[in-house]
Amino acid sequence: MAAPSYGLIATFATVPNLYQAAEKVRDAGYKHWDCITPFPVHGLDKAMGLRRSIVPRISLAGGILGFCTGMTMIWWTGAYDYRLTVGGKPLFSPMFAFPVSYELTILFTAFATIGGMLFLNGLPRHYHPVLKYDQIKRGMDDTFFIVIEARDPRFNLANTKALLAQAGGQEIKELEA
Amino acid sequence: MSTPAATAPTALAPDPAAAAAATRALIVGLAGLALTAAGIALSPDRHGPVLAYLVGMTYWVALAIGMLMLVLIHHIVDASWSVVIRRQWEHGLAAFKWLFLLFLPLLILAWVKPGFVWPWMDLNHVLHGHGTVGTDILYQKKSGFLNLPLFTGMTVAFFVCWIWLSARLRRASFTQDADGSVGWTSVNRRTAAMGLPLGALTLSFAAIYWVKSLEYHWFSTMYGVWFFANCVRGALCCGVLIMVWLYRRGDFKGIINTNHFHSIGQLMLAFTVFWAYVTFSQYFLIWNANVPEETFWYNLREVNHDGSTNQWWYVGLVILFGHFVVPFLALLSYRFKVTHHIIRRIAYWILAVILVDLCYNILPVLKDGHGDSLPFLSLNLLWVVTSVIGVGGVCLWAYLRSFPTTKLIPIRDPRIGECLTHHE
Repeated sequence: MAAPSYGLIATFATVPNLYQAAEKVRDAGYKHWDCITPFPVHGLDKAMGLRRSIVPRISLAGGILGFCTGMTMIWWTGAYDYRLTVGGKPLFSPMFAFPVSYELTILFTAFATIGGMLFLNGLPRHYHPVLKYDQIKRGMDDTFFIVIEARDPRFNLANTKALLAQAGGQEIKELEA
Repeated sequence: MSTPAATAPTALAPDPAAAAAATRALIVGLAGLALTAAGIALSPDRHGPVLAYLVGMTYWVALAIGMLMLVLIHHIVDASWSVVIRRQWEHGLAAFKWLFLLFLPLLILAWVKPGFVWPWMDLNHVLHGHGTVGTDILYQKKSGFLNLPLFTGMTVAFFVCWIWLSARLRRASFTQDADGSVGWTSVNRRTAAMGLPLGALTLSFAAIYWVKSLEYHWFSTMYGVWFFANCVRGALCCGVLIMVWLYRRGDFKGIINTNHFHSIGQLMLAFTVFWAYVTFSQYFLIWNANVPEETFWYNLREVNHDGSTNQWWYVGLVILFGHFVVPFLALLSYRFKVTHHIIRRIAYWILAVILVDLCYNILPVLKDGHGDSLPFLSLNLLWVVTSVIGVGGVCLWAYLRSFPTTKLIPIRDPRIGECLTHHE
């Protein structure tokens, strides 16, 4: 037996072909698969059955962490570690801790958003099996692909091939892992 | 996608439902105005109901200004997603001339009984603890700006500006429906380039003259920005209410989608943060500098002369949590922004808190013998409600009267195709 393959790739000539094929793959219950398009296809996420990204939750966590860090830092430095009265103000007040907390909320939210996005996308990544496919560059130009990974529990070489063919896929190829 | 319908029907079907609703709104509005007038005539202390009327006026002028600014911003940035809702804001702009009419009693009152609404207009008005307005050095220094002729001229100029800009925007947009000329879009963009600075200046000075000058000793460079934030937040909420209303009525089915709600919801979130930023900055700078000429404004709204907490302290907390924290957290959610009945509730909530914010800025100028602000919960609140209903009824009537005179959406706007297929 040959080395286990990464999955199957099928070519589609037009957006409607790809869109309808994506709906079929979605309805067949596949989870580990993707579409490769030269440009964003609006509504494709729905056709693929993708849910909204969870990046906003990671952002929120970052924001809350930033706010608490700001408040704690100002309290720690001014009212605990080195108690110093400045301008007749109390040692700690959320009033003057707020600008710092606000800035850190934004900073940590930005870090969490970018970090969360990179993590969820599995980036940075220097190699992807799809890149070995000699036609893949056309996916940045004039052709559309669907890739179904072999690790998907529903993956079965013969059946998945048949599904892609029935969905209108051309040149269905196995990808080297 | 965006080919304008070349053979669009020009005749509009009559909308009896809108006409009936307009009449109802006008009747309710006039009833509210009559009740407010009765309140002013019958109250032992007339200053309260008059200031309540100022709250009602400021509230609806703010919403109209917000709509004006949003239409101008739409044109200057060449926006596409908001083309459909822009038409409804344009209908809302029809209220300006009636708002001017409703503001006239206050202007006349300023001349007939100076100092009755804005205390500084009466030079003999006795200040709490130190002489009269006329002998007050702070008034004397500010009198180049704070004088009745300039106040009157500026107020008239504000309304002339707003009515003129609204008429230009409305005419260009409505005419484009008929002749399909892209030239009207350029006309509106030029109006926007000129109207935005004009709008920013007029709304700032209106806020300073009508509201801030009630306590003319005070200093705040944030005041116009604070008012602008409220204006736009209110107009966005009105936009959401209209979108949900027209969607449920069936008019907007197939026209607006989830992404339109998402986009307007995002703007609501952005302006919630903006309002908070501005309002907090104003408070924080005054708190930090701790100068009596500035802190007295907040002290009036927090404590009585004997140091006890007054009702406005709690109103301030309601504003902090109700105007920022709650809407901010609610609007973070994607689901809340796109679920019609939830975003509608958030819109109603924000519209209510804007009113509380205006009350907080206007009503504490009413003081008792000790110089303490009269409490929030008083009969004046009733006159605030009648004024808001009164002026609001007239505004709603103006909107509903304008609504059936044009097509539901600007069918020949160059961006209408993009708008109808709006996506994230």
